[in-house]
Amino acid sequence: MIIASLLESRQEQWRELEELCDRLEVRGRAARGDGASVLRFASLYRAACADLAMADSYHLPPATVAYLHRLVARAHNNLYRSDRLDPVSWVDMVFRTAPQRIFADPCVRVATLLFFGLFALAIALGYQQAGFPGFAEMVLGEDQMESLEKMYEEPIHGSLDHYVTMAGFYIKHNTGIGLQCFAFGVLLIPCLITLAFNAIQLGTAFGYMSRLETTGNDNFLHFVTAHGPFELTAIALAGGAGLRLGMGLFSTGGLSRIDSLYRSARLAVPIMVASAMLFFLAALTEGFVSPSSLPYVIKALWAILSAGLISFYFVVLGFPRDFVVRPAIEADRELIDPLADEEPVGEYRGAT
Amino acid sequence: MSTATPLDTTISVITPENIAFDYELAGPFRRLPAYLIDILVRLGLILAVGMVLGLLGLATSIWIPGSFFLAGMLVAYFLISWFYGTVLETYFNGRTVGKWMFGLRVIGIDGRPVDGTGAVIRNLLRIADLAPLAALSQFDSDLPAVYVIPTGIVGLVCMVSTRRMQRLGDLAAGTMVVVDERSWRLPVTQVDDPRAAALASFLPADFRASRTMARTLATYVERRAYLTPPRRREVARVLAEPISERIGFRSDVDPDLLMMALYHATFLVDPRQQAAGGEPPAGPSPLLRDVNVAQEIPVARLASGPEASGLESDPAAGVAPNAEVAGSDQRPGEAAVIQTGSIETEERP
Repeated sequence: MIIASLLESRQEQWRELEELCDRLEVRGRAARGDGASVLRFASLYRAACADLAMADSYHLPPATVAYLHRLVARAHNNLYRSDRLDPVSWVDMVFRTAPQRIFADPCVRVATLLFFGLFALAIALGYQQAGFPGFAEMVLGEDQMESLEKMYEEPIHGSLDHYVTMAGFYIKHNTGIGLQCFAFGVLLIPCLITLAFNAIQLGTAFGYMSRLETTGNDNFLHFVTAHGPFELTAIALAGGAGLRLGMGLFSTGGLSRIDSLYRSARLAVPIMVASAMLFFLAALTEGFVSPSSLPYVIKALWAILSAGLISFYFVVLGFPRDFVVRPAIEADRELIDPLADEEPVGEYRGAT
Repeated sequence: MSTATPLDTTISVITPENIAFDYELAGPFRRLPAYLIDILVRLGLILAVGMVLGLLGLATSIWIPGSFFLAGMLVAYFLISWFYGTVLETYFNGRTVGKWMFGLRVIGIDGRPVDGTGAVIRNLLRIADLAPLAALSQFDSDLPAVYVIPTGIVGLVCMVSTRRMQRLGDLAAGTMVVVDERSWRLPVTQVDDPRAAALASFLPADFRASRTMARTLATYVERRAYLTPPRRREVARVLAEPISERIGFRSDVDPDLLMMALYHATFLVDPRQQAAGGEPPAGPSPLLRDVNVAQEIPVARLASGPEASGLESDPAAGVAPNAEVAGSDQRPGEAAVIQTGSIETEERP
């Protein structure tokens, strides 16, 4: 086969394919009622694939083969486009996948124990001035203690202006910290440090501010009660998701390290989504309920209600119902490899 | 065919059509400018949203308290700074603005498009890839501690040490960044030199290049524009000399020219046309058996092109052809090199 005559016959179609690619790339996807050109695109793409497959026996020069590689790659990218986020699958992830992963994941348990354990310890140490003198001063520092006291000196009262702005600020700031904690989970140690740091600092502040002799201890409790359950759980969950991500590098379960990281990242995402939702709810509560002058009883009731909702979410929605129906061996397999039902990474290779 | 993978930054992908094609991977220094552009776009977007909300807030301050717009700005800042890459890569088929400008695209390692979860993972984990942070106050204690520069060493080390040049976020998301440029022209190397066609007409009619030889010829002709004339001769001689000997050409035929003639005969001339007679042999014959016929024509002229006539006074060009055939072709070769140097520059694209 002589390249001159081959190119003459094929070049026209390649150029047409390129033009269709141009149009698809500019417009995003094929216009409505433009089915004919989509069909044409598909058949041109298959023709270019065939040309590439035959390139070797055609004796095509390397530059032409390289051109064909790029043409096929480009058309491939336009034929197989990324899916847009599907709201149905998103709802499914939030209300079915996420609670079940949270329920089953040991990393979440470890992170929760670590966070709430250190938190409780720090409260105890910070509260007892006589038993542990100077602990709160060491952790918080004089400046921060003063500013904390000053912040809660005045009884809580807010205006709508204040509420809205603060809600926006908390969404940005606290959720950002949670996402950061998750992202640093891949390096494991920064995630654990962030988690422990927040636990100890928050706990010490709680302990110090709930001392009877601290000025503004009433107002402090008034403020933190309502959003506490959402916020603290969200931090623990973000840490758990980060831990799950980082553990993939160490506990590979027989996979290669990279495959294991890939798998654990997929497992961690629903947990992180749940955490982000909790951060969002916490920010709304912190912005609108906490600084309001509602009576303490209502805020406490809201806290109890939110704690109940979280428990419902984790336990009732998260309880692995499949265990009841499936035989024990099946269930074990599920525990070992929760992604087993989803399609494996390499399957694409064999598909036709 | 040998299965040895080339030492290159390409990665092979097998499609559902059962075709394997190669992607060119994008390394850290191709991705950095795209990322910088993305930072700028993100900044511009945040400023634009801020200004629009600010103006709206001013315009409607009678009905809606300004705090709503302030909160809106904070939320917009949060969303844009964390989810800019995720949303763009999901909706624009693996491309952000910076990637679009530099012809890059994110795809799955198996060639599939990036999915929503993958885009979330790789964009969230970017801050881990940018670690560790370097604060300017570490170097100069006078500077305030707010200026923090992400060094990106984690991502760089990770990219350098993985086969697909993935950073940590790419590894976790199962994605890679490839070069997907918008336009290229079909590179068919044409042989412009008329002497090549002339020389090709002296090749035997049953000359057929084998598969490997065809590939070698094409590679040589594609690359020769990047070589200097002495290097061309040096590279071409390896293949040209045995061929020249087998066909029965005189040994002073320029190897570079002979390679071009072979390329011409293999790729650019229709064999049917050639079989039907085609173009008659043109120019002085380079064949060894014609030496006595063409004795009076200086061979250096053939080897070095029409412009050689301007340099007739060069002693090397005037050497008798018989002497050249008998002896080494070193001397006339030098003359050809000197003169082709001026010709080749015109051919370069």
